[in-house]
Amino acid sequence: MATEKELSDFLKSVEKRAFKRSVYHVRDEEAALDIVQDSMMKLAEHYADKPIHELPMLFQRILSNTTLDWFRRQKTKNALFSNFNDFESDSGSDEMDFLDIKAPEHDSLMGESAEQNFSHTQNVLEIEEEIKKLPARQREAFLLRYWEELDVSETASAMGCSQGSVKTHCSRAIQALYLALSAKGIKP
Amino acid sequence: MTQGLTPSFSSQDVFARRIVSELDVALDNVPHHVSERLRAARVRALSLHKQMAHTTAMTSNVQIQNGVASLGGSSGSSPLWEKLVSMLPLLVLMLGLMLIHELQNDFRARELADVDQALLLDDLPPDAYTDPGFLKFLSVPRSSIEGPQ
Repeated sequence: MATEKELSDFLKSVEKRAFKRSVYHVRDEEAALDIVQDSMMKLAEHYADKPIHELPMLFQRILSNTTLDWFRRQKTKNALFSNFNDFESDSGSDEMDFLDIKAPEHDSLMGESAEQNFSHTQNVLEIEEEIKKLPARQREAFLLRYWEELDVSETASAMGCSQGSVKTHCSRAIQALYLALSAKGIKP
Repeated sequence: MTQGLTPSFSSQDVFARRIVSELDVALDNVPHHVSERLRAARVRALSLHKQMAHTTAMTSNVQIQNGVASLGGSSGSSPLWEKLVSMLPLLVLMLGLMLIHELQNDFRARELADVDQALLLDDLPPDAYTDPGFLKFLSVPRSSIEGPQ
């Protein structure tokens, strides 16, 4: 069973990412805060007896389910609810070329000027906008796999789909981000 | 970096990690009111966790008090064992009821036997002469009761 301090440290480590992920999904800051709070409460209420190493996966599942619940509630409230387009085909003819991407050789934020800093902030906002535009399943797979650093099987388990689907969603998400950001002249 | 992978896969991986590193930077710029809401949510969750832990501990204590103290508690035991242990008080209760029932039967039988014995050994009461059955008994010749010798 996780101690209070372990749970506190865990929640502190995930709360901002959870908030951002929810914002990317629901595009509403207040709703995202409610979703994160509900998820924290559910974790504490129903999984208080679980060991600490099981909490990350449990929390991701709870967060995903709570977000889905929010969409369901919105659907009943709002007739203009838009679909997830889960398996939207990215059959675009533009094949991306990743071969020119290189790993960063140093921390790009070190010693940047105010102008560079502003430009960097703008780039981050653009990246966030493009992430919001991704189909929900692609966005979820991409964020769980790379931001939450779950492996493929854990991501598949959290999303309730096959590992192959996770790989496909991630690949399509990265392609879409690459194309969109390249079109804006942004090279992260 | 990951030489065993195909160039395309490796590059996708690198690109993805650069994207999320930008997102990590953006986390530092979360507005103050959002940070405060998140902190408040965390505190509420921890408070609930505390309550749940307290409730769990109380439940555990009650189980130990209900007749299984001699087994030394149930921490670390399997759920099946815990179920069996939790049924132990019921089993003891049933055995106790059966024992009480047997003892009462035995006591009642002894009481009846004592009454019979007292009646047989005592003098004939006057009321016996008002009993038609007894009068009939007396009118029957003794020889017919005892049979031919």
